Amino acid sequence: MSEDKPATEEAKVRLTIDGLEIEAQPGQMLLQAALDNDVEIPHYCYHPKLSIDGSCRMCQVKVEGGRKLAISCNEPVREGMVVDTKCDEVKHARQGVMELLLVNHPLDCPICDQAGECFLQDYSHGYGRDHARTTSPRRKGVKREPIGEHVVFDQERCILCRRCVRFTQEITETDELRVFGIGDHSHIGTMPDNPLNNDYSVNVADICPVGALLSSDFHHKRRVWFLEDTPSVCPSCSKGCNINVGVFKNEIQRMVPRRNDAVNDTWMCDHGRLRYAFTTDETRIRQAQVRDAEGALVATPFRMALDAASEQLRPRLETPEAFGVIASAHLTNEESFLLAALCNTKIPAAHVVLPVIRGEADGFLIQEEKAANATGARAMGIEERGGGLAELAQAITAGTVRTLLVLGGDALDIAGGEELLASLETLESLIVIAPNETPFREHATVLLPGATFAEKDGSFTSFDGRVQWISRALNVPEGVETEGETLNRISALLDKSKPELFDAITTLGRIAEAVPEYAHINRAELGAEGLLSGVQEAPEPEPEPVDITASGEA
Amino acid sequence: MAAKVVTIDRDKYIKAGGPFGIKAFISGFRVTTSHFLVNLIGWIRGKPTVATVMFPEEHLAKPPAFRGMPVLVEMDNGKERCVACGLCEWACPVNCIHIEPGETTDEVERYPKVFDIDMSRCMYCGLCEEACPEEAIVMSDQVEISAFTRAGTLWTKSDLLTPVSQLARRLEHIRRDYDRR
Repeated sequence: MSEDKPATEEAKVRLTIDGLEIEAQPGQMLLQAALDNDVEIPHYCYHPKLSIDGSCRMCQVKVEGGRKLAISCNEPVREGMVVDTKCDEVKHARQGVMELLLVNHPLDCPICDQAGECFLQDYSHGYGRDHARTTSPRRKGVKREPIGEHVVFDQERCILCRRCVRFTQEITETDELRVFGIGDHSHIGTMPDNPLNNDYSVNVADICPVGALLSSDFHHKRRVWFLEDTPSVCPSCSKGCNINVGVFKNEIQRMVPRRNDAVNDTWMCDHGRLRYAFTTDETRIRQAQVRDAEGALVATPFRMALDAASEQLRPRLETPEAFGVIASAHLTNEESFLLAALCNTKIPAAHVVLPVIRGEADGFLIQEEKAANATGARAMGIEERGGGLAELAQAITAGTVRTLLVLGGDALDIAGGEELLASLETLESLIVIAPNETPFREHATVLLPGATFAEKDGSFTSFDGRVQWISRALNVPEGVETEGETLNRISALLDKSKPELFDAITTLGRIAEAVPEYAHINRAELGAEGLLSGVQEAPEPEPEPVDITASGEA
Repeated sequence: MAAKVVTIDRDKYIKAGGPFGIKAFISGFRVTTSHFLVNLIGWIRGKPTVATVMFPEEHLAKPPAFRGMPVLVEMDNGKERCVACGLCEWACPVNCIHIEPGETTDEVERYPKVFDIDMSRCMYCGLCEEACPEEAIVMSDQVEISAFTRAGTLWTKSDLLTPVSQLARRLEHIRRDYDRR
């Protein structure tokens, strides 16, 4: 949508909705034009990223001069059009549609996960009758049937808007969901040999306007009105899908995609969506630990552990060639910037490795790099040098690298990780900063807990160089500091200066000064959609992402 | 409407009580004395008709409109009516309700795995009862929440479950009160 704007600026269509004069793109549908101008027209089957179905009849409006009511989702805007969305005729039509939709609806809102964000609830309240006129028993259907690994289906609640069917046809092109039967007997279903198991299956639960398709991960977990949504970015690959993190009592309950037409439209993959347990599970390190004289890791106050870490690093100020760093692609740009300052300028380390776990890419959203910010880390100046992990392991075994600083645990999951783990025994000191337990613990001299993506403010750079802001959704656990704060304080301790409090926005300002590609970037400009920086992913260019959103309109 | 000043002859009221307010004194004592005499005569006859009840062993029957602590309705099959919809948790102004929903294979697929009420916080406002779409949480006539520890004031689901037969009067009352038919 945003790309269309410059091309069509000269020829805008002017029309009037409810006495309000608005401008629309030529060829745009009336419903979308109204929604863009904050005029509410109720709708079920229309979705901006799917083709137009026109089956729900909820968006009917009166167009002046029209013979009968028009469905606004499929009515192109015309110059001088006069539209009424509030007249009695429209109200009556909507009330009729609502009544028919609710004829067989089970009204089990108290046990329905959609309650609270349900279009049927909202529109019933806004446009429906206050009581039912039917007395006949409601149609019974299949309830809580798992139609895929991550999706639960409730046939009774379905209003047959076919959003999900169009999603599997047009977006994933996997065709699992279809409408079976005709007339009153129509229902959504899957073929027995083809369950809904594609990589984007839970999106059907998001687009379902009622509670018919539900995420089995979120099923009966928490009422949506308790959730506090924080805008963030998915940390699971380098695509940088925009998400909202739903939090209740300092625990992530679910992650849902947030619309960003430049990145993920309104979708996200199941892998990223369901990967959030690591933020609160038992693998989190919640206490700084330091190895004592007897060789056991002892829980230590964070401050003292920081002192111990900086004492381990201090000899390397003189002998930087004996210092190795394993960076992390999960850090924000701001933290990577601080790490780069530490390992490039303060102690110019002989070995710097940026381990990135690689997997399959699918040409749509899922990218090859399974970490959010490898591009950003490289742009911040974390250049691999001294070879890869294998060379680092050799240098450690040979005794040339004596102090190693490790962030995160990704290094052990890529090629060379095993050799590295075997070589760690010979190290003089190993400083580990990680949010979750890693096998590095066995050899760690100082173990500092880190924060996950949900616990920090900062920015990620996606594979195509788009910088996007992530906001803190969870409180940092007690006894834990973010990596930015830790690195800031270690640097200050090495300088014997007073540390400033780490602040992501200020640090982003410093990045803009130091990195030319980021010169135009600041927190206010990033907004909700992010900005393209000048950097592109350097190694292994990605295949051109295939645009498989079917309809060109948005 | 303009305010109107009423002048009161205070002396008139004071004098009406007689010297030293003796009339009010007597009328007050009459109640106590009559109870005392009734008790005394009953005791002499060997058939005491005691005017006070021996709290806490005995309780007076409370009217159905009385709002004691909220309890969960236990159906005849021994299960709770509650489906863990969370509306009471949302309505509660003092956040004393905590619910963890769970899934069952029963006809109603949702039930509260955990249903805790912190009775030391509860202020007996009855909003949970009003919010409940299932008539599953109602205000009982129980008021005794004293405990020796703070943990003792946390009432779990098993503590809260009360057979529906004991709550019949209140259920009937709220149906009338909230116009639910």
